[in-house]
Amino acid sequence: MSVVPLRPGVQAEPSAHAKPVAMIEIDRVSQMFETSGRRSHLALSDISLSIEDGAFVSILGPSGCGKSTLLYIVGGFVMPTAGVAKVKGRAITGPGPDRGPVFQEFALFPWKNVLGNVMYGLRQQGVKRAEAEAQSRRLIEMVGLKGYESFYPKELSGGMKQRVAIARTLAYHPEVLLMDEPFGALDAHTRTRLQNDLLNIWERDRKTVLFVTHSVDEAVFLSDKVVVMTRSPGRIKEIVDIDLPRPRRRADLLLDPHYQKYVVDIEKLIDDVLEDELHP
Amino acid sequence: MNASQFGRRISPLLACIGLLCVWQAGALALKTDSFPTALEAIRAIPSILGDHESLLNILDSLRRMAIGFGLAALVSIPLGLMMGRIRAVASLCNPLLMIVYPVPKAALMPVIMLWLGVGDVSKTLVIFLGVSIPIIYHSFQGAKAVEEKMVWSGAAMGLSGFQRMFRIVLPAALPEILAGCRTGLVLALITMVTSEMIARQNGAGNILFNALDMAQYDTVFAMIIVIGALGIIFDAAFEKLRRALVRWSEPRFDMPLSFS
Repeated sequence: MSVVPLRPGVQAEPSAHAKPVAMIEIDRVSQMFETSGRRSHLALSDISLSIEDGAFVSILGPSGCGKSTLLYIVGGFVMPTAGVAKVKGRAITGPGPDRGPVFQEFALFPWKNVLGNVMYGLRQQGVKRAEAEAQSRRLIEMVGLKGYESFYPKELSGGMKQRVAIARTLAYHPEVLLMDEPFGALDAHTRTRLQNDLLNIWERDRKTVLFVTHSVDEAVFLSDKVVVMTRSPGRIKEIVDIDLPRPRRRADLLLDPHYQKYVVDIEKLIDDVLEDELHP
Repeated sequence: MNASQFGRRISPLLACIGLLCVWQAGALALKTDSFPTALEAIRAIPSILGDHESLLNILDSLRRMAIGFGLAALVSIPLGLMMGRIRAVASLCNPLLMIVYPVPKAALMPVIMLWLGVGDVSKTLVIFLGVSIPIIYHSFQGAKAVEEKMVWSGAAMGLSGFQRMFRIVLPAALPEILAGCRTGLVLALITMVTSEMIARQNGAGNILFNALDMAQYDTVFAMIIVIGALGIIFDAAFEKLRRALVRWSEPRFDMPLSFS
């Protein structure tokens, strides 16, 4: 790859003139894990991926394909063995409030009530208590939990906990949302409701979202782009652009042949991945 | 208060009364000098608590216990938390802990007395050692069990390593830490008495063993009751504090383990 210097000290991105600078740039990232018995396991192998500002991108693949690991690398929670991940052109060296995670395990602070959880990040960033509280109350209302401000996490259902977790992360205004199978622990109905609500929230401010899931419907329904991965080692098999109109409504989409075709095609892709493992 | 709540409140009291009745019956049946009846022992309590000298002795003991316990908590909680979060600290401290764990701390008393004399320092040190182990261990377990994703959530909000330890790991591990402190509190009382048994100078334990030397068995048993009562009072007070601090983690139904 040749780089043409524009001015001394400034290098042009190869694509800088064509499209906006990527929000997230993953450049030849590999991740090796030491496992027991001195064997190492290649979780991610040579992953390159570029995510534009405001895009909703899902990473899809069978369990063990390293999709969560990739998300943790972007979050700065895990350092890649090789390669670099960048956010807005800066190499990621650790976690930061520009990238807000939402985990399958909710990871709420059990000693804080709903309001306390949502306020936590704002207070950490030095926002005055009254202002943080007002903002948090609005967010709690937005995720549909008005009236539950003083409840503690152990008193809430799984779906409610995840709503709190989403509000807690949105509260400190991250530019990127990192969602690690956020609805994976929820029952089917709750899951659908949260998907709808997440889309509604997302359509207001169009944050960049990196969304890890193993549900094909979920990925197609939510995303602009679906990244299909293989496992052992984790590689990108294919990136599928989901060209469906927004705002999306579930009822319309389920009847839409384009939607159905995306789902069938991607299911076929994943089937191929699993077939290749059996008969390499 | 309904009937079941009343029952729960009153049952520890009934247990105490039951124990005293069995004691009374046993002592009456055995009829030996070295085993006074419960009533005789109880009758000897006012003379101990009414005596200025004895009271000062007991207060001395409690002061040492409070200092030993407080210092132990101050050192052990941070150490245990660091062991739970930093692998290098754990692999360094764990073997040391395993060596110190089975040693009865009071057995160290004679050696410590050689170094530091028979005064407050030795006794407080022994209490400190006795209390430290369970608090370190529980803090360690509590910190280890803290969900990684919870710490990550804090990191994403911009909390520094120290802040994550102090504002996420510490509160998340608090129920476990306080369980260790509760054990530690009882151990503090035990080591307090044993330390005074070995370094006979003053204190509650000294009253007990002096009385034993002089065959004043009613005083011996009265002191046992006083120490037991102190244990119950401390435990109940600590339990109240614990509940106030970690109400968020309590299961809905709890066994009534103490007066509260």
